[in-house]
Amino acid sequence: MLTCKEVSLLASKKLDEKLTLGERVGFLLHISMCGVCRRYSKEINKVHALMLNVGKNGKSFMSESVKLSKEARERIKVALDKVSH
Amino acid sequence: MMHKMSDPDQWIPLYGDILYRYSIGRVRYPDVAEDLVQETLLAALKARENYAGQASEQTWLIGILKHKIIDYFRKVSRDKTQELEDHLIADEDDYFNQQGGWKIDFSQWSQPDKSMEQEQFIKTLQACIDKLPPRMAQLFMLRELDDVKNEEICELMSISTQNNLWVMLSRMRVQLRHCLDINWISQ
Repeated sequence: MLTCKEVSLLASKKLDEKLTLGERVGFLLHISMCGVCRRYSKEINKVHALMLNVGKNGKSFMSESVKLSKEARERIKVALDKVSH
Repeated sequence: MMHKMSDPDQWIPLYGDILYRYSIGRVRYPDVAEDLVQETLLAALKARENYAGQASEQTWLIGILKHKIIDYFRKVSRDKTQELEDHLIADEDDYFNQQGGWKIDFSQWSQPDKSMEQEQFIKTLQACIDKLPPRMAQLFMLRELDDVKNEEICELMSISTQNNLWVMLSRMRVQLRHCLDINWISQ
């Protein structure tokens, strides 16, 4: 029987790579009996799906109130002007 | 549909905030994020002739910024001190006991379903990401947000084996999950 630590690794790896048959069997056997790992696996799945969705929509993940500072704007403008003129 | 390119003088007012938000969401340091925006616009200016007008100007600029961010991650990963950090991350074990059982307990957790809740959830998640060691946060961005392939992450972050990558990703997810548990108030 795999430990919770080993299962947490498989629950994570599962999001990034196909598990081997042996890994899958060990994982399923464990979570059929362990509620904490079952819940853990489900929840990191949800966060993973949510993030991929945020990334796909090209969303910045930051609120609209975050803005480029006035000083930075000035500095970038000077740098651009140097190249274009 | 073909897109026309706007006057580069208009780029900062049009796209400055959008590019900055994208950048700061991934690199966390304001001065680095600003530099990346500048590098992006300079590169765009030089590559103006190559813009085919197939993607919108904003998509085109974000595409350039994405590459600049990956270059930045690659550059910081070359730093030798990073290796030490990897060991520290792998060795410390705050979450499991010696028998490999959970040391922490997860409370029942409700998934944000309404869009306002989701926005709040993402804010909490962002705060939790900020608490991760910088290299872990980079890993999160590349894997979870930008869906960069495993081999590419190993290459650009100088992670020696895929197995190390699985361990780092797993630790990152346990840490994040724990932080969300403390900070995300479930109904």
